[in-house]
Amino acid sequence: MNAPRTAGARGGPLRPVLAVYLGTAAGTLAWLAAIILAPWLAAGRSTARAAALLYAAFSPICHQIPERCFQFHGHPLAVCGRCLGIYAGFALGLALYPLVRGFTIARLPSARVFILVTLPMAVDGTAGALGLWASPIGLRFATGAVWGVLLPFYFVAGAADLLRTRRARREARALENQAGKT
Amino acid sequence: MNQQKPEYLRPALIVGAVAGVLSGLPAFSLLNCICCLWILGGAAIAVKILSQATAFVLKPSDGALEGALTGIIAAIAHTLTTLAFKPDMETARRVLDWLSSIGIEQPSNIDGILERTTAFMSPAWIILGLFVTAIMYALVGALGGVIGVSLFGKKPAGAAPPPPPPSSGPADAA
Repeated sequence: MNAPRTAGARGGPLRPVLAVYLGTAAGTLAWLAAIILAPWLAAGRSTARAAALLYAAFSPICHQIPERCFQFHGHPLAVCGRCLGIYAGFALGLALYPLVRGFTIARLPSARVFILVTLPMAVDGTAGALGLWASPIGLRFATGAVWGVLLPFYFVAGAADLLRTRRARREARALENQAGKT
Repeated sequence: MNQQKPEYLRPALIVGAVAGVLSGLPAFSLLNCICCLWILGGAAIAVKILSQATAFVLKPSDGALEGALTGIIAAIAHTLTTLAFKPDMETARRVLDWLSSIGIEQPSNIDGILERTTAFMSPAWIILGLFVTAIMYALVGALGGVIGVSLFGKKPAGAAPPPPPPSSGPADAA
């Protein structure tokens, strides 16, 4: 199966890929730090309000059910085990990205790989939601992590292509303006 | 430079509004726990709609932009839905009781969740919350949009991109 390639795949080194990669890596570290920071702040007496803010910030993207969250300093992390697995997997995928893709090619994974990697989490999540079984938090983390490893290969490729397209449009517009003046 | 640009706004508005409302409803929002299922899936569906309405092959940048737009609109719909439901704690309780009665287990921190929802209700907190949610949903949406491009963005080989000419006689109807 031919996976879609970005417009810049034919060219030399893609600066947008490197820029997006570094930005995503910094953002991922901050994201993971905030998840761990929430229970650490909740454990302190004077920082409970800040902890509540962090928990509230993550509430739109996770149910935060304490039984399904890893604990730190006696308080649940800001996201559940599965979400933590996804983000940890995302970080691992980012670390693997240069080895697998490098910074010259921004290409998307094939649909077959996506389905294969999604299947364990989908089966576990669906069965849990239907009440067929209640998987332990470690399994939730693992299935989330397997899925998360693949995600940077979409995110970096998409964001780099977006950056490149916008730069190309801006440059084309500047050239048109220049041509109009002369 | 004459580059073709898809019509991003329409699919993003439709799907983003639905996904945002679903992610803000008390019971349905629990499904968002599967990595923002509503937003991620919604962005992918928005790309599918965009792909069907566009004659040319979508690029990952189209998916990222469409997904981010869907996420931002979903964040607005989510905030509005949450606001509509938050003050009426009685209704929220009734919905949760109904869910319990049909066998859907309630999380142990449900009281905490309900309390937290009323803790940050001033306009400043609501605007800050909308801003944070918009950033998070835009990122997740962009991801879903790029996944959508890889799943639905391609046209079948040999598909004719230009639309057929308008029918001119009864033979065309057959």
